[in-house]
This record gives sequence, structure tokens and C-alpha cells, in this order.
Amino acid sequence: MGAFAKLTWVELKLFTREPFAVIFTFAFPLIVLIVLINSFQPEEGGFGGFGEADPQDYYLASYVGVVIAAVGLIALPVHIATYRDRGILRRFRASSLAAWTIVGAQAIVGLLMAIASSIALIVFARVFYDAAMPESPGLVLIGFLVGTITFLSVGVLLGIVTRNARGAQAVGMMLFFPMFLMSGAGPPRDIMSSGMRSVSDVLPLTWVVSSLQNPWLGEDMEWSNLILLGGLLAVCVVLSMRLLRRV
Amino acid sequence: MPPVIEVEHLQKRYGSLEAVKDVSFSVEQGEIFGILGPNGAGKTSTVECVQGLREPSSGSIRMLGIDAIGQRSQLRGRIGSQLQESALPDRMKVWEALDLFASFTTGGPDWKVLLEQWGLTEKAKTSFADLSGGQQQRLFIALALVNEPEVVFLDELTQGLDPGARRVAWDLIREIRARGATVVIVTHYMDEAEQLCDRLAVISGGEIVATGRPQELIANSERGIKVRFSTQQQDLTWLESIDAVSAVSRHGDAVEVTGSGPVLAMTASALVAHGIVPADLRALQPSLEDVYLDMIGSGEEADANGRVR
Repeated sequence: MGAFAKLTWVELKLFTREPFAVIFTFAFPLIVLIVLINSFQPEEGGFGGFGEADPQDYYLASYVGVVIAAVGLIALPVHIATYRDRGILRRFRASSLAAWTIVGAQAIVGLLMAIASSIALIVFARVFYDAAMPESPGLVLIGFLVGTITFLSVGVLLGIVTRNARGAQAVGMMLFFPMFLMSGAGPPRDIMSSGMRSVSDVLPLTWVVSSLQNPWLGEDMEWSNLILLGGLLAVCVVLSMRLLRRV
Repeated sequence: MPPVIEVEHLQKRYGSLEAVKDVSFSVEQGEIFGILGPNGAGKTSTVECVQGLREPSSGSIRMLGIDAIGQRSQLRGRIGSQLQESALPDRMKVWEALDLFASFTTGGPDWKVLLEQWGLTEKAKTSFADLSGGQQQRLFIALALVNEPEVVFLDELTQGLDPGARRVAWDLIREIRARGATVVIVTHYMDEAEQLCDRLAVISGGEIVATGRPQELIANSERGIKVRFSTQQQDLTWLESIDAVSAVSRHGDAVEVTGSGPVLAMTASALVAHGIVPADLRALQPSLEDVYLDMIGSGEEADANGRVR
């Protein structure tokens, strides 16, 4: 096995040994999904402003977005900041491993974990709640990949700029919870007040949730959201590359 | 044979802080070279620049005949590092760390051999966080050797180890040298410097204040060596004409000769030549610690503002 593959494999194993990251990535979205599906009785179709959607359909699509946010805003930044803070990154660098290699391996692990957790959610919602599967799987996959990669880049940047693991956790939580509650993953956007909705419009997680929900529930993809995500990705990558040289 | 490491006029600034002002030293093939100095003297900055982990502000560094600043990538595979204040992920197991770090390099010994040699076989499946301080240090040494380096840097290796574990660490370092590597250690333990190092550089305030063998540093110190003996002979003025002697004093029969370098041997031969053979002739050397504290300006002295220097 090459060095990068081995590093990614070890990082994957380390992730699964980290209770905090595992809970936030796997258990948290699942628990909230169950609570929300059971809070809302199926109406005569059209939940959350989507044609024929029941609550479980609506929430399954948006909770894949919550998984992405949990990995990108909490698990990854805390992990990277811990490596920086405790001198783990320096130890690797002393063995001629560039910082971006380690961060890259961690981001790949984040992607794999987001995929695994999303599959777990989908299987669970399908088996226990008979939730709808995507109308346009290809477009959902595009939305998922663009959203995940963008949020991973945000996570890398947060991991680099925060002071230490505690700081990363605090900042990550502060970004995660408002986005989680206002992106459509909590109360549906169609019952939000206009003020709340205009805040929701500028949250990157809203762009992700919309890019998942629309093709999932048979609406048109809003490409502008994907373009916004792409812009955010570019900014985070450029800043991270610059800052990583100084770590 | 040219020196393994040649550092000339190394300087390192962090913003307005001048951590390393002007440091030059060289390390010979197969030496255990010690860098000694108080906290904040610039020791770690110096060795981190030498290892290519930090960019020097100015100066030149050559290692193994290669420009260590311009062509540092050529050196990475040939040096091994144990860093101050570094760690591994808490839940990484010992065998995973060795297996992973071994994959970064080509060649090098089988990591299972290192596991055995450094007494970690039984701990192979233990997580980093569950190792004792001594076991963590042994793992760090094993990781530093995983690429079979020609030069090994050990920064405060025995920090936080109990006395028994430190002795073990010293033996391990001697073993590294016995395998043909050159070793650079950073320390502020005097006994470690005296027992382990072939040569030392003392750094204080970002500058080298002395280099040499531990015994040379002691012998050449301003404190001097005191030679004591007893005799009933009254006229000893001829002792003062010996080169290495700087002063002679006596209280009754007890004589004290102060000098430097070979003062004991010179005094002894002069005494014998004059028919004096005292049974209690002995030399009192200052300890390396005394000499070191003189060099760096002992921590007891406070400056005009009452701050301890």
C-alpha cells in the first residue's frame, strides 16, 4: 500500500475510534430524523411546499444535508485542529509528509463517512418509514458531491484558522446549529417568516439542502445554489492552501 | 572527513523577536552532539531550522554535504527527528504508527525489528494515549529511526522521564550512535550533557557562548580547578611559577592551588620533583552545572528592574 493510501486507511480507523465524531456523523442526524418524522403526521401530500411529499420524504432529503454539515463543520475541523494543536501535524511534517497530504487524507475520510452515514439514513428511512427514493438520482448525487466537497473545504479552513480543538468545536457548533435549524432541515422553509427566510437564503447549508431536496422530490434543480457552493469551495481551497504552508 | 552538519551565522526572527541571533557550530560524523541552554535560549529554533522545519532568516546550513535550506527535500529521507511537544493521535496504536511512518520511506529496517529493539513488542496493540511517558518516548525514537537515518535529532528526549527511564534512554541513544548515526540532542539536563555528549554547544540569548567537550568546558572555565593537599614544608613559592597555576593559598598545613587545564598533573609532578608526596592530593573540579550557570549568567541574578534574567 502506498503512503497516502495507508495514511487514509489509518485515518479512517482513527475516525471510527472517535466517539464524538461518530455520534455527530451517524447517530445525531438519525435521532433528529426519527424525532421530526414522528412529530409531523403525514398531511394530504405537499409537506414543506413539495407536491406529493410526506414528512419522511422531505426530512430524509434534508437530513443528508445535515450529515454533510456535521462532518464538515464539526468532525473535520475538530480533528484537524487537534492535529495542529498537539503537534501531530509537525511530527508528520518532520517525516517529510506535507501538511496538505494529511489534511487531504482526512477530507477523503470525511467524504467516505458522509457517504456511509447518508446510506445508513436512507436505508433506515426506507425500511422503517417507507420514505421516497430520489426522483432524479443523478442530480441528487451531483448535489451531494458538490455540497459535501464544499463543506469539507469549509471544515479544512476552520481546522486551520481556529486556535485549538476547543476553539474549533465552539466555532463549528456555532455555525452548525443555526444552519441546521434554518436551512430547511428543521422547520420547513415554507412556514418561515420572510425575515427568517432571507437569513436562510444566505446559509450555505440551505444551498446544499435545496440541491438535495429539489431533485429528490421531483422539482427542478436550482443551479444557482450549486454555483454559490462552487464559489465557496474555491475561496476555502485558496485560503487553506495559503495558510497550510505556515502551519 | 568533512563535518556532517555545518551551521554558519544562523539567524531566526519571529516578527520582532530575535530567537536566534548568530549561531555557528559543526557536528562531526558519529558524534553525540549536545545543544544546551536555558528555556527560550533558541535551542529548539536552531535545531528546527537545521532539520528544515523552519525557514532561517539568514545564515547557511550544510548537512551531509547538501545545502539544507535550498535543497532540504533531498535531506528529509536521511534524517530522523524526535520533536519537542509533538504527539501522535491518541487512538493510534503503536504498530499502526510504525507501519504508517515506515510507508513514508523506501528501504529502512523492518519496523517489526524496531518494535522488538525498543521493547515495544508487548505494547504493539496499545493506543498512543495509553502508553507511559517512557514508552511514548521509545516509540518516538523508533519512529525517528524508521528510515535508517544518518543524522538523528532528539529534542528534550528525556523531559518528564523518571531517573530510571532516563538511564534507559541514554543507553538507547548510545546504541543509535553505535549503529553509525550522528546524533544531535537538545537538553537542559547537565548530567545528560556530561554523561552522553561527546561535544556540547551552550546557547544563551540566541548566541553560542561556548563549545567543546564537557571536560574541556569544565577545565577551561574561569572558576578553575582547585588542587588540595597537606604538607609541612613552608616554602612553596615555586608552585606559583607553574603555567597552569593561578594562585596558591594555605591555612596551616592545608594548601590550595587554583589553576586551569592540566593543573593537577603539573602540580603533582612539581611536588614529586621537590620530594613532597602528599597522601591526600586531590583535585576539586567545578561541576558542569557550575560552569554552565556561569556561562549563561546564573538565574539568581536579577537585572535593574528586578526581573530575573
